[in-house]
Amino acid sequence: MTAAIETHKLTKWYGRSRGVVDVDLVVETGQIFGFLGPNGAGKSTTVRLLLDLLRPTSGSARVLGLDIHADRLAIDRRVSYVPGELSLYDDLTGLQLLTYLGNLHGAVDSTCRDALIQRLELDPTKRIKSLSRGNKQKVGLVAAFMIRPELLILDEPTAGLDPFIQLEFERLCEEARGDGRTVFISSHQLPEVEHLCDRVGIIREGRLLAVESIASLKDRALRRLEIDFGSPVPTEAFANLPGVRDLTVENAILRCTVMGSLDALVKTAARYEVRNLRTIETSLEEIFLAYYGAGDGTGAGTAGGEPGHAAA
Amino acid sequence: MLLHNVFTKTIRDLRWPTFWVALGMGSMTGYFALLFPTYSRLVDLNAILAKMGPAAALLGASLGDASTLVGFLHIELFSMILPAVMAGFAAAAASGFTAGEESRGTIDLLLSFPISRRRLILEKSLAVLIWCVVTAVVVLVFALAGATLSASPLPADRLASSLVMLVLLGLDFGAVALAISAATGNRAAAIGVAVALMVAMYLVNTLAAVVDGLGMLQPLSLFHYYMGNDPLRNGISLPDAGALGAVALVFLAVSLIAFDRRDLAA
Repeated sequence: MTAAIETHKLTKWYGRSRGVVDVDLVVETGQIFGFLGPNGAGKSTTVRLLLDLLRPTSGSARVLGLDIHADRLAIDRRVSYVPGELSLYDDLTGLQLLTYLGNLHGAVDSTCRDALIQRLELDPTKRIKSLSRGNKQKVGLVAAFMIRPELLILDEPTAGLDPFIQLEFERLCEEARGDGRTVFISSHQLPEVEHLCDRVGIIREGRLLAVESIASLKDRALRRLEIDFGSPVPTEAFANLPGVRDLTVENAILRCTVMGSLDALVKTAARYEVRNLRTIETSLEEIFLAYYGAGDGTGAGTAGGEPGHAAA
Repeated sequence: MLLHNVFTKTIRDLRWPTFWVALGMGSMTGYFALLFPTYSRLVDLNAILAKMGPAAALLGASLGDASTLVGFLHIELFSMILPAVMAGFAAAAASGFTAGEESRGTIDLLLSFPISRRRLILEKSLAVLIWCVVTAVVVLVFALAGATLSASPLPADRLASSLVMLVLLGLDFGAVALAISAATGNRAAAIGVAVALMVAMYLVNTLAAVVDGLGMLQPLSLFHYYMGNDPLRNGISLPDAGALGAVALVFLAVSLIAFDRRDLAA
């Protein structure tokens, strides 16, 4: 089956400053794919290359099997996009904008559009100028979903959405996947997308570090843990537990970082009196640093092939 | 709602700017035509211009005979004010075609719909062409109305010829601004260069009559083709009109190519 997105050594330099370097990314059809990386890592650059808004310095890419430049209009009919910095025509109302975009597309079912407006609780009669960021984002999402695209490319789509609408957005993504369509979501926050995505690609400093299933990423998730015991505990009891690192025990307080399952640690801790247990999910950045090192990024592109990084 | 495509949307976006520009240009021209008999009784403009000597050339008076309405309009409006407003309007509008969408950040969403970059420019250019023509028609109507009311002779075909040249000149500076903004994404630079060019070309053309050596540069000035044949008195000159039209097409082609090649601003 044709991949929804396939890039080959996709590279973009802005003069001497780095955009992305040698990105080889394959997104299979029918998935929700998370494209994760800290700000400035090259997420938007990758997305804008796929949209032909930027032209690659070298390398190539295909979307739905079509060439991103030569087959541009064919792609535009079948792919939708919500830009990261979403800007809309301020002088139009939401409905006017959606009408305009629908006309440009040429095949939008207004029933489908209106249903989306209802589900996302958008007031389409308000001028875009007067909309909050979250409400503008809704307009962008309606525009993206209303053309019933085979592939949705969403750059930080949930910024500004309230939790209820975010849930509705996730349902829309899941429905799209259910129809065999593909959703590509970029984000700098793993927690925002981890329950939604099937797979994630991780990009840092312009290089794609790894593509993994969410399950395998979670297996290796890093959590910082703090346990308050009723009385001092022996360090040795915890020192050699699987996945436990950075262990310190000060009197009755244990602090450590755990990779993957908490099972062994919790069972050991249960032998003592546990007064409190705090766990702090680490940020994506910390996961990057823990797994791929704090290096300069060179050579990290092969990290996915290192031992212990078996993709599921 | 005029939201069918990029062309109609541009027509819509420019409707109010066009309204004011057309109203301004039209009412000014109509006003001059209406008051010309009174004015020419009170003031002997030819005598004033004669007293000014070579400096009168700066006002574009080198070709004029201010004792007729045709000559009066030529000196007072068609030599400087109308071209400046028309070219300024076209340049301001055209510089926003791509650079405006880029600076507002709407270009990403727009181009993710099935519109090619070239088509974007062509549809918007067509909209500006139409608005320029509408503006010229408004000027024509106001001028003829004023002339009729004041019973001053003003041949409609000659006036129309002048207005055709006026539109072509406006489109030229619009196309220059478009080419710069399409190539660089910098709207301010595009308007600035177009206006500076217009002023320089105006001066070269008018001063060529009185300053030795500038005559050589005159063919480089678009005003030379715009005014050279004095269309208000002599009707349209096809070579001159062709020259102006060709310049507009060349810069349009440059903008299509330049915009198609580059990275767009985020």
